[in-house]
Amino acid sequence: MIRLFASLVAVAALCAGTANAQNYPTRPVTLIVPFAAGGPTDIVARIIGENMSKTLGQQIVVENVAGAGGTTGITRGAQARPDGYTLMMGHMGTHGAAPALYPNLRYDPTKDFEPVGLAAGTPILIVAKKDLPPKTLAEFVAYVKANQAKMNEAHAGVGSVSFTTCTMLNSMMGVKVTRVAYRGTGPALNDLIGGQVDYMCDQIVNLAEQIKAGSIKAYAIATEQRSPALPDVPTTKEAGMPDYMVSAWNAVFAPKGTPKDIVAKVNDALVKALDDEGTRKRLLDLGGVIPEKSGRTPEWLGDFVKSEVTRWTPILKAAGVTAN
Amino acid sequence: MEGFLANLSLGFITALSLQNLAFCFLGALIGTLIGVLPGVGPIATIAMLLPLTFSFDPVGALIMLAGIYYGAQYGGSTTAILVNIPGEATSVVTTLDGHAMAKQGRAGVALGIAAIGSFVSGTFATLVIAALGAPLTGLALLFGPAEYFSLMVLGLAFAVVLARGSVLKAISMIVVGLLLSTVGTDLETGEERLTLGLAALADGIDFAVLAMGVFGFAEILRNLENPESRDVVKGKIGRLLPSMDDMKQAIAPMLRGMSLGAALGILPGNGAVLGPFASYTLEKKLARDPSRFGRGAIEGVAGPESANNAGAQTAFIPLLTLGIPPNAVMALMVGAMTIHGVIPGPQVMTKNPELFWGMIASMWIGNLMLLVINLPLVGLWVRLLKVPYRLMFPAILIFCCIGIYSINNSPSDVMFTAFFGLFGYALIKFGFEPAPMLLGFVLGRLMEEKFRQALVLSRGNFMTFIDRPVSAGLLLVALIVLVIAVTPAIRRRREEAFQE
Amino acid sequence: MIRAPQDAAAGVFLILLAIIALWQGADLSAGTLGQIGSGMLPRALAVLTLLCGVTLVVESVLTRGAGLDRWGVRGPVFILGAAVAFALAVRPLGLAVAGPLVVMVSAMASRETRPVETLIFGTVITIFCLLLFKFALNLPIPVAPWLIGY
Repeated sequence: MIRLFASLVAVAALCAGTANAQNYPTRPVTLIVPFAAGGPTDIVARIIGENMSKTLGQQIVVENVAGAGGTTGITRGAQARPDGYTLMMGHMGTHGAAPALYPNLRYDPTKDFEPVGLAAGTPILIVAKKDLPPKTLAEFVAYVKANQAKMNEAHAGVGSVSFTTCTMLNSMMGVKVTRVAYRGTGPALNDLIGGQVDYMCDQIVNLAEQIKAGSIKAYAIATEQRSPALPDVPTTKEAGMPDYMVSAWNAVFAPKGTPKDIVAKVNDALVKALDDEGTRKRLLDLGGVIPEKSGRTPEWLGDFVKSEVTRWTPILKAAGVTAN
Repeated sequence: MEGFLANLSLGFITALSLQNLAFCFLGALIGTLIGVLPGVGPIATIAMLLPLTFSFDPVGALIMLAGIYYGAQYGGSTTAILVNIPGEATSVVTTLDGHAMAKQGRAGVALGIAAIGSFVSGTFATLVIAALGAPLTGLALLFGPAEYFSLMVLGLAFAVVLARGSVLKAISMIVVGLLLSTVGTDLETGEERLTLGLAALADGIDFAVLAMGVFGFAEILRNLENPESRDVVKGKIGRLLPSMDDMKQAIAPMLRGMSLGAALGILPGNGAVLGPFASYTLEKKLARDPSRFGRGAIEGVAGPESANNAGAQTAFIPLLTLGIPPNAVMALMVGAMTIHGVIPGPQVMTKNPELFWGMIASMWIGNLMLLVINLPLVGLWVRLLKVPYRLMFPAILIFCCIGIYSINNSPSDVMFTAFFGLFGYALIKFGFEPAPMLLGFVLGRLMEEKFRQALVLSRGNFMTFIDRPVSAGLLLVALIVLVIAVTPAIRRRREEAFQE
Repeated sequence: MIRAPQDAAAGVFLILLAIIALWQGADLSAGTLGQIGSGMLPRALAVLTLLCGVTLVVESVLTRGAGLDRWGVRGPVFILGAAVAFALAVRPLGLAVAGPLVVMVSAMASRETRPVETLIFGTVITIFCLLLFKFALNLPIPVAPWLIGY
């Protein structure tokens, strides 16, 4: 009796343990989102996940594991079993800026993951309170340089996207302003609208509606082309700051060791989602940027992550910021 | 005026479609049932149920989500009254007199008053939103960090009044709550503070973890030790619904509570949390016999519950008019709206009027649904209390564990809850009360953030808190409240000292 | 000498808490009043806690008050132990194991527990939770990773 039971358990365990790419997936797949539900990365993950569920034939279940700027969730994902049933949505912060910000980081973005593919990115905008005098980006830069001591820049806390992108902007402008930390984008945006602070750098998702309504103003968007969601906002290239090209990119990763054919299957579902009419519309409405065909392969992502780490590390180290 | 009526009728036409009515009802029902489970608060409930709404159209989905939100809030109040476990920061006050009433066999009355109070204040709040939503937002934008800080100081002054016993112990608890709120990562420098080196504490202590441990687990421990005082339903169940006398006592607190709650809920930055506390303080001070409070005074449930619901609804104003979520639950709603293709912002009112007014109308309908759903359920809940305690407490425990785990899919959260259970047990043994500590904890984070922001913006000038008129006014009121709260205690102490 | 033992114990508890907080926050920079550092507030609050604790102890010597309550052992060990067991078991073993575990361990805290009844109750309520949270609501909680893989 016991032997029968034991052999049944052994067979079950064997079935559970084997990652059989032909049948993958045979049960729901967990997609770890290292941020709280409702935020930009979470929204992108859910929109894409919904479509991928249809292609893969099994549900993609989003698991929010927030904490420490996203590194808690990614650490858990990196340590998960590489059987293809745990994936994670990393982004510019967790896989680009993290090594510079967190000295005790428990993963290496370039080594501990199997890149799957880039998902939608959300461009960064330079925005200011509506009463700030400068009208163009050039005027803004001059204004900030002249009034450094009085200027207040808002960000959503050390380690957030608004923090790292504005660190880069400030160093590019060569200014040292007073940086005011907020707990999250909501309160920061609130004070920007109220005029308590002067400017901010953040993702389009959070800002588009405010800009359209005129409660804040945008100087430039840091992408190659203007966003269809905000056609009147010039790109940084047009406005005279072509080097400031940043986007809060999001990408799907799997733990190191996940079989190549499973990665290929997931990548295929991801690409199909990015091509699907309905999904594209929802992403574009948010202001998201859908990657070009050439940028959708796992290899491209792997190289991109390496370049992002190389890009952010010197800027953040120079600014002398570390989260603990 | 006619614009207002036209908008409202557009809203009602949208909200009263059969499909949307069904969504509203379903949302309220599911939200209540899940929110009632101890350990599962509104945030966990909405996050859990959000994917269910994906296949529906935006207006319907949002109506359902709003229904889930109120349902969960009300379910949380139900748990607060029946088993002394607050589902959210706003239900902490309800536990004080609500649970005391339950222990006296008046659980039905408490639940009934909470339901009726919520409905009345919900109606009021809906009217406020419909008529004054846009201009009120402008008012809220006047609040900068200095004003928020002073508001929080006022909130702390309220906390002192919450105390049932020794004022010194209440103040100690508030200070401990403030201290616990500093655990985590420093906002400006990113340094880890008081985290004992544990990665799990890097983002601070979660409110639900603290509340569940200090209230829920500690309460179970206390009940196990005192079997006589725990039988919540002694003998007859008593009245299931409030009597006319109860209603007469409750009506004025309800009206005051809903005004307070509605006003505070508008402030972005979680002003709604202060509503119930402010109402409790007000009622305690206005009552002819304040010593009844904490022992089952019906005003202590009617006022805070009305404030609670009014605040929960007016909290939608910054969301619907500005697109800025005032608290974590609303942030979830923003995400939900965005996923459904409606990006919240100042233009939602003009670009999607059916959505905006439909949601407002369905808020009122949702409140009505809650009343319809919950009043009959009162009998069911009270009967559930007759389950023998030896089966009830393991059930409470398993729901708490699952609920806590589900917040961030983290087992360490459950471990911390156990730790705080021990902490709460110690507090009870030493004669402390946990309610002021929770308030201190909730306010602490906000207070420190706003304090430091205000100082950074003023470049280190402390006078900024007094130079700005609104801030100065709030600080003055706080001082007055503190003096009123502390003087009777000092007088009593002096009498005692003389007697010695 | 101590007229209010409960207050005295309460005061000592606060003093200990304050000392732990001060020790942990010792290496944080307090900054200046003009540029408040991360350590200023925790330190100030810890000092306030210390003051409250000392006041309580002093007061316990001067005024009469409640006596010390006895601490139970069975209750805390089994209730809190049940939660810890859940935390340790839920990810490797799943809710299918952690659920009944919580119910049975916590039930041992009460003298009124009947073993067989508790076992049945534990199983029933775990099945209810699985149906509700996992299958109806799709909560990403592990069911039984050692048996069915998720």
